[in-house]
Amino acid sequence: MALPHKLFIHSFRKRRLGWFFAALVLMMVYLATFVTAAEVTLSAVTLSWDSGVQSRLTVEIPAIEDESATPQTERAQQALAILHAMPSVAHVSMVSEQETLGLIKPWINQPDLLKALPVPILIDIERKAGATLTAEDVRQALKSALHDVRVDDHANWLSDLGSFVNGLTLLGLFLILLTALTLMICITLLCRSVMATERATIDLLHFLGADDRDIAAHFQRLTISLSWLPALTGFGGAVVSAMGLLYYIRNFADTALLSTSHWAYIGATVLAVPLTAVVIASYAARLSVLSTLRSAP
Amino acid sequence: MLLQFEKVSLWYDDNRTVLSDIDMALPEGGFYFLTGPSGAGKSSLLRLIYGAERPSAGRLSLFGQDVVNAGRKELMNLRREIGIVYQDFRLIPHLTALENAALPLRLAGADNEYVLRHARELLEWVGLGNRLEALPTELSGGEQQRVAIARAVVNKPKLLLADEPTGNVDDETAVKLFHLFDEMHKMGTAVILATHQQHLTEKFKKPGLRLKGGRLTSPMTKVA
Repeated sequence: MALPHKLFIHSFRKRRLGWFFAALVLMMVYLATFVTAAEVTLSAVTLSWDSGVQSRLTVEIPAIEDESATPQTERAQQALAILHAMPSVAHVSMVSEQETLGLIKPWINQPDLLKALPVPILIDIERKAGATLTAEDVRQALKSALHDVRVDDHANWLSDLGSFVNGLTLLGLFLILLTALTLMICITLLCRSVMATERATIDLLHFLGADDRDIAAHFQRLTISLSWLPALTGFGGAVVSAMGLLYYIRNFADTALLSTSHWAYIGATVLAVPLTAVVIASYAARLSVLSTLRSAP
Repeated sequence: MLLQFEKVSLWYDDNRTVLSDIDMALPEGGFYFLTGPSGAGKSSLLRLIYGAERPSAGRLSLFGQDVVNAGRKELMNLRREIGIVYQDFRLIPHLTALENAALPLRLAGADNEYVLRHARELLEWVGLGNRLEALPTELSGGEQQRVAIARAVVNKPKLLLADEPTGNVDDETAVKLFHLFDEMHKMGTAVILATHQQHLTEKFKKPGLRLKGGRLTSPMTKVA
């Protein structure tokens, strides 16, 4: 049977230890939730980009200044006809000039200069599901009619992006681990401080027949009762902050790319953070009490 | 055998000897006064019995079990058979009289209804039926000591140890408390009551263990 809840609660409240405890849990959960949310969202967005882009190839018809050559639009139409006839191709569409210029605009925002640039025509190809159409296959198919086209399967870009996201993921994991470790260390120190204050009561409990596990379990319950509310508050704060951040970056990262299952995965992972923090805090309390009590009479 | 000391000595790192060559064997169910002047080693002897300290030399067994080499688990089980009353009561200040008295039963894992009913009955037995919800600070010294006695006997211990239980109360209250210990003894609990108030012990015809300078001086208690 549990010891009375108010047994050591006064020592936690004394000298604002309770406030310190609540603030500590709140901040740690805020940080961990925020980092976790950022990390899983980034992973999900990358995954959706990856799956979106991996099934696509881009054909680039360069502009040629030689007036005797076949005009660029005519060459693009030739390419479109060849591509339409390929059995592994699900969909082919020409990227509009406006859209292509929009891709360059962030770097060259001068209308006169943009007009003068030899901008290539881009053709977007979507492979049929399960088809093994490579950039080289497309290049070979177009070679007879158009020798100067370039075909891009985005492999380099995806590889760089993958490395970047993996790096960020590792950094995020490190931050989460660091937060959990800091929480454990702080809870341990806090429990030891309360145990030092309550030394006489703990000795008395031993002399009344208490097992170390009884006392450790009491600290564990006390930690849970003191941490669940700050953990939820920290979680709520982090969710609000993350939503604010998503709103702010909506122009850079298209969250519409995320499917319902992505959002469910993000939600479940983020929801696990406050729960994990409370479990970590309670077990840190239990372990620190048990290790301290080993030297008790 | 309730308790057996064989050549038990206790000294500290600063070479201060507290108890020397204690030899005694006490049969179960007795009532013993442990007397002697302040500093004679009465409290230390009791602390050895309930395992708060380990002897520096000698062998000590309680209920036939070795206390000196007992592990934490064995010591915990032994302590659940002992009730302890301290001079300074050692009630937990944030808990009511009822919660304080109920602590040993809670630690023993008894169910809530039994814990509350039995603790309430014991507080009524010691005359505190109307002070169940009082905090220790709201009780007089005598009342606090009665709560401590209720706590010590709530789990029906085989042995009741009392360390100067009347040191902080007047003589009239002290006699009443002694009667409570006597009642517990009549119900089958062995009692070892340490006191330096010899004038009070004379009113009760009980065998005495006398300590002086850390040595047992009463020959009636020596092991045969």
